[in-house]
Amino acid sequence: MTHLPPSEFTLAFRHEPATLTVMIGGELDYDTSDDLLDEVSRRLTAGRPSPADVRLDFRELASIDSSGLTALLMIHRRTSALGATLHLDNRPAHLERLLHLTAVLDHLTAPPTRPEARRAEEDDGLAGAGLI
Amino acid sequence: MLVSDRHGHLVRLNDAARLVLPDAVSGGRLSEQVPAWLADAHQRTIAAPAQGTSAELPHGAIGERYFEARITLSGGDVVWWLVDATDRRVAERALGDARRRSEVLSEASSTLLSTLNVPRCMEVAAALAAEHLAEAAVLIAPPQGRRCSLTYACQGDPVVQTSRQVDVTGVPGLREALQGFPPVPARWINPDDIPDWAIPDGFAGSVGSVIVAPLPGHGVPAGALILLRSSTEQAFTEGEEVFARLFAARAGAALSAARLYTEQATITATLMQDLLPPTLRTVHGVEYAGSYRTSKDHERVGGDFYDVHPGADPSEETLVVLGDVAGKGLDAAVLTGKIRNTLHALLPLAEDHQHILNLLNSALLTSHHTRFATLALASVQRRGGRTQLRLTSAGHLPPLIVRTDGTVEEAGTRGTLVGALPAVTARTVGTVLAPGETCLLYTDGVTEARGGPLGDELFGEDRLKRALAECVGMPGEAVVERVQMLAAQWLRDGRHDDMAVMAITAPKAGPLNTADGHASGGTTRRSGW
Repeated sequence: MTHLPPSEFTLAFRHEPATLTVMIGGELDYDTSDDLLDEVSRRLTAGRPSPADVRLDFRELASIDSSGLTALLMIHRRTSALGATLHLDNRPAHLERLLHLTAVLDHLTAPPTRPEARRAEEDDGLAGAGLI
Repeated sequence: MLVSDRHGHLVRLNDAARLVLPDAVSGGRLSEQVPAWLADAHQRTIAAPAQGTSAELPHGAIGERYFEARITLSGGDVVWWLVDATDRRVAERALGDARRRSEVLSEASSTLLSTLNVPRCMEVAAALAAEHLAEAAVLIAPPQGRRCSLTYACQGDPVVQTSRQVDVTGVPGLREALQGFPPVPARWINPDDIPDWAIPDGFAGSVGSVIVAPLPGHGVPAGALILLRSSTEQAFTEGEEVFARLFAARAGAALSAARLYTEQATITATLMQDLLPPTLRTVHGVEYAGSYRTSKDHERVGGDFYDVHPGADPSEETLVVLGDVAGKGLDAAVLTGKIRNTLHALLPLAEDHQHILNLLNSALLTSHHTRFATLALASVQRRGGRTQLRLTSAGHLPPLIVRTDGTVEEAGTRGTLVGALPAVTARTVGTVLAPGETCLLYTDGVTEARGGPLGDELFGEDRLKRALAECVGMPGEAVVERVQMLAAQWLRDGRHDDMAVMAITAPKAGPLNTADGHASGGTTRRSGW
């Protein structure tokens, strides 16, 4: 067993027609989860027709914590709002365990449900109205 | 140029010299015709001619100008060439002043920024101002309520700090300075207008000149500085005023940093009053023990929490909550507070864990973020000698139960995390603790403590279970201590997340226990009800 330094957080993107694939490597935690959310959100709304499928590939994921899961939940919210399906591919055991423990796997990978998307939009509308 | 003989008489002066010394007359005594410094230089030259040229040039003021005198010996006469050095002198003096001031400023900055304690910061600022800028300085902090904090410094005296009600309009320009408006020029301030409270006790004599400088803070004024000089001293020059403002800017920045820090520390302290884990004790015949270690040892509030809500009387259930909020710092602490308050309000509904989790979930749900919490709920009631538990995990690590025979059971409850999904589900399980048995609730900071012999291994659930197996029959407090200690040893100095551990223990001996405790052991204790 070799002693490895903390692996660096990496993101790689592959754009295919109708599919956005995100390769996530390293530690997805409090320090890096915002990067993931920002980058994915940017690509989701970047001009071209929004993808029907968003695939997060965790083959290179070293670890994930609750902040990382927060980012996944937020990405799911964004993809649902766009009508895209989220896929969590190549899940390492620790991610599988976290998803099992928190019982969110079904929610994250369910096909987009319009009601939730609408609901999120309504919430935003209400918050906006509250500010005025 | 002027020429004088060795007897000290002025022999001749040219037109240029006449312009400088309009009253000088040829033939008069030099000492009566020219300023003393030149006459003295002349005397010295006559007494010791050899040294005349080697030493520093004689220099001094004539009228408003400043001159250096160069000498030429011509026969028996001495020829003095007066060179106007006023501009150079001014430049040199300005340079010297600038150097001294930048030294003062850098001293001020390093001294002021080395403390984040507001009173200490004010003390240092006032003392430095009294030492380098004026004879006395008074620092006024922005009023808090009706009172102002005043810091008095007088050269050579110790700094005095008081807090009192003062009329800031009494000092011209002070009210404006405290509001952050630019300073009033010193010459506009009549020293006689300065009220007594603005003059330190040690200040001798009457006030001669005054500077009132605002202390600009980060967005809000940090106070004002009054500088005083007695009437026997030179009044503040414009340069000194500018310098006083520079100094005030540094002092203001340091003070406002200290104040912001203190405010934040106060906010944290106030929040912590509500967020700190409660002291646990025995409630209705069941022992509760808890321990909490934040990820940073200097922080006392983090993302983990636990609470015990005792039932109104022994016939009612006590609700135990242990939770972990995603994220860190104040955001996490605020969400923690929200969860604890909401759960408190939902106590009457605690007989249905699923129901309160759903209500809590809707209360936390927002479109702005998906920050969530995981919770372990336990409803506890002692009935006869049996301690009955209903356990529910909402996305949390399942509670572990330490049986008297040394087995460690994982409660078979599982549920959704709360605060991020539109709806949550959870399964509640029931169990019974026999006397001496403990149910342990804990956060993943314990099992995910990274360390061990290789430094990169997780503490893990199996290691925790093995450790618990050795805790059979221990009081709850000892179990909690043991778990925290083992996790800490495992970590050594490693980085770790918050770690919270709570034990619910059926006491071995007690009034209820002796009554019928032993009768209830054995076969029935592991079933639900």
